[in-house]
Amino acid sequence: MATTVEKTPQPETRQRYRPERQDGVAHVFMTPWLLGFVLITALPLFASLYLAFTDYDILSPPEFIGFENFTRMVDDDRFWSAISVTLRYVVFSVPLQLGFALLLAVLLDRGLSGLAFYRGGYYLPSLLGTSVAVAVLWRQLFGHDGLVNLALGQFGIEMDSWLQNPDTALSTLIILNVWTFGSPMVIFLAGLRQIPYDLYEAARVDGAGLLRQFFNITIPLLTPIIFFNLILQTIGAFQTFNQAYIISGGTGGPVDSTLFYTLYIYRQAFLSYDMGYASALAWVLMLAIALVTAIHFLLSRYWVFYGDD
Amino acid sequence: MYRTSRRGLIKSTAALTLGAAALNRSVSHSSAQEKTTIRYGWWGGAERQANYTRALEAFEAQNPDIDVEPEPAEYAAFQERMTTQIPAGNVAELFWIASPQVLTYAANDLYRPLDTVPTLDLSDYDAALLDSFRLSGNLNTMPFAIFAPVFRFNETFATEAGLTVPDASSPDWTWDALAQLLIDYSANNPSGRRGTAYNAHADLPFEAWLRQRGEQLWTEEGTAGFTVDSVAAWFDWWENLRRAGAALSLSEQDGPSADWQLIGDTVLANMGNSNHIVDDSRSFPDYTFRQRAMPLMPGAPEGHKYLYTPRIAMYQGIEENKVEAAARLMNYNVNNTEFVRTTGMSLGAPVNPRVRQEMLAFASPAETEMLTFVEAETAATRNPRFEAPPGSNTWRDVMALAIEEIANEQSTVMEAAQRMIDDINAEIERAR
Repeated sequence: MATTVEKTPQPETRQRYRPERQDGVAHVFMTPWLLGFVLITALPLFASLYLAFTDYDILSPPEFIGFENFTRMVDDDRFWSAISVTLRYVVFSVPLQLGFALLLAVLLDRGLSGLAFYRGGYYLPSLLGTSVAVAVLWRQLFGHDGLVNLALGQFGIEMDSWLQNPDTALSTLIILNVWTFGSPMVIFLAGLRQIPYDLYEAARVDGAGLLRQFFNITIPLLTPIIFFNLILQTIGAFQTFNQAYIISGGTGGPVDSTLFYTLYIYRQAFLSYDMGYASALAWVLMLAIALVTAIHFLLSRYWVFYGDD
Repeated sequence: MYRTSRRGLIKSTAALTLGAAALNRSVSHSSAQEKTTIRYGWWGGAERQANYTRALEAFEAQNPDIDVEPEPAEYAAFQERMTTQIPAGNVAELFWIASPQVLTYAANDLYRPLDTVPTLDLSDYDAALLDSFRLSGNLNTMPFAIFAPVFRFNETFATEAGLTVPDASSPDWTWDALAQLLIDYSANNPSGRRGTAYNAHADLPFEAWLRQRGEQLWTEEGTAGFTVDSVAAWFDWWENLRRAGAALSLSEQDGPSADWQLIGDTVLANMGNSNHIVDDSRSFPDYTFRQRAMPLMPGAPEGHKYLYTPRIAMYQGIEENKVEAAARLMNYNVNNTEFVRTTGMSLGAPVNPRVRQEMLAFASPAETEMLTFVEAETAATRNPRFEAPPGSNTWRDVMALAIEEIANEQSTVMEAAQRMIDDINAEIERAR
């Protein structure tokens, strides 16, 4: 018996795919971005890699000196000061900021009325955090006759300017960073909305309290978001510049207590005209950030829970 | 209905863009044929920018063949911009020079020799004055203002306290006597004011201190010209005042460089530059400010006095057809009384003796105080003063660090002074 094989009906294509033509158009549209990337990012990146191995004072041509800029760092006291300041800032400000952002996100996730207002209000410092206006505000708060000292004065505590004391200046910048918690908070809020509500319901039926729900449902299911925020904020903290520049007037003072690594790079490049050394410093920072990020990724397998694990 | 394809759209856009660019180029070219454009770079705040813009507009009105493109910036931003413009060969035709960069730029051949600019009018300057403008014998920059170190005091406060500040010619006008005067004032004035801001970071008074001790800030060879002893003695003088309650703390004045707006009505006096009285007195219009030459150290050598002159230069890479126009603009800056009237004298007394005299007729009381002071100082005998060498750009930051270490008791005066000199010399050595 002859059998007829019916052809599987093919979906009707609206337009035939013409790869060459479409690729050409795509390239045209990509050109501005590609040009920007090559000219503004890739070329300076490779130029700085070359300059890192040169003695370059900007005003005269660079001279190749091998690894001298990198070996010089070993005996450079201010390089180590900058590393110390930056690491202390990263270690304290990132967890504090993320903890605060998570706390606020959880509170805002509880069906608060006027949520949009609070969300906008809390996000605002993230936009203002590195502006001159905030530097002025910080001086009003933490200066010699600032609000903080006035408040402490009510309790008989007399303090000097927090910004002029080497023991407290960095703390004020950490507080400033924590204050700009809006950006990670918004991401946490989005993550919290993705957690299925029935998990909480089931937990409640089983008698779990709020804290138990938080630690056994919210935190585990939010770990990918926490990890994402941790990576972003850590990289951002390593690159902190504006706050320190504005608050210290670009000096990193008092007594180098706010001499962030990026501020030190800036000072070497634009004040000491030591662009070769500054380039080497910049590459060390990039490698350090890459290393820390890699460590975060390695450790993430022990604490980050993805739904499909 | 006619539909444009993407390719057609891209072609049309590209054609329109090229057409517009060509049209723009042709318009620019035709206007460029009529006018010579001179870029002029300077630093300063918003008020100076507004004043200079007005003055430059007046210049353009008088010189319709010249178009001036102002390039103002805040001081640090100005230096950053120069740092990027220099390697790009894109420096403004006329530009101010920050004091630490004068010799750095000279070493990198950034200045056009002004001897080769015949239209620059130097007829108001005698030979000796012109010689004092030269760098290593070359007239390649033009000073446009003068100021000198001063002790400035609030005469209103002094009168209230029944205090008489000795005249600079008085034998009682010494550093020790001044310290005692400030301590006494702080202890006895009924308003609880202090004698002075903590001004160990003031560079001109520091240089005056060094010169009275027979030293210099910078030597002719381009090295630091001061000893650890002199720096330590300077820091000690200020620390004694602070410990005696006669000088503000760094905390009170918000850092080594006192914020005048913050402290202006809390202190009797301030050390600094003679030109500061112009702006600072306007912040406190109810008070009268006076200034004196720096107090004298016993045994100070003849010729210890000095003047500081900020400078303007013409870029070495200027196109030849722009030199004459740039010279006209430079003339307007340094030789024109109307220009100074418009821009004000916040940068100091005019360097041109004729303009300085003419400005007396238009000066405010504070400006008159400054002009009179500078006129007297220009008459004094002065030993040569040398500009900051390459690599010294950060010396004041190094000094601020030393002051912070001392004031926060993280270092002894001698240790901080030694480290300051070592760090400054290391930077200079590295730049060689």
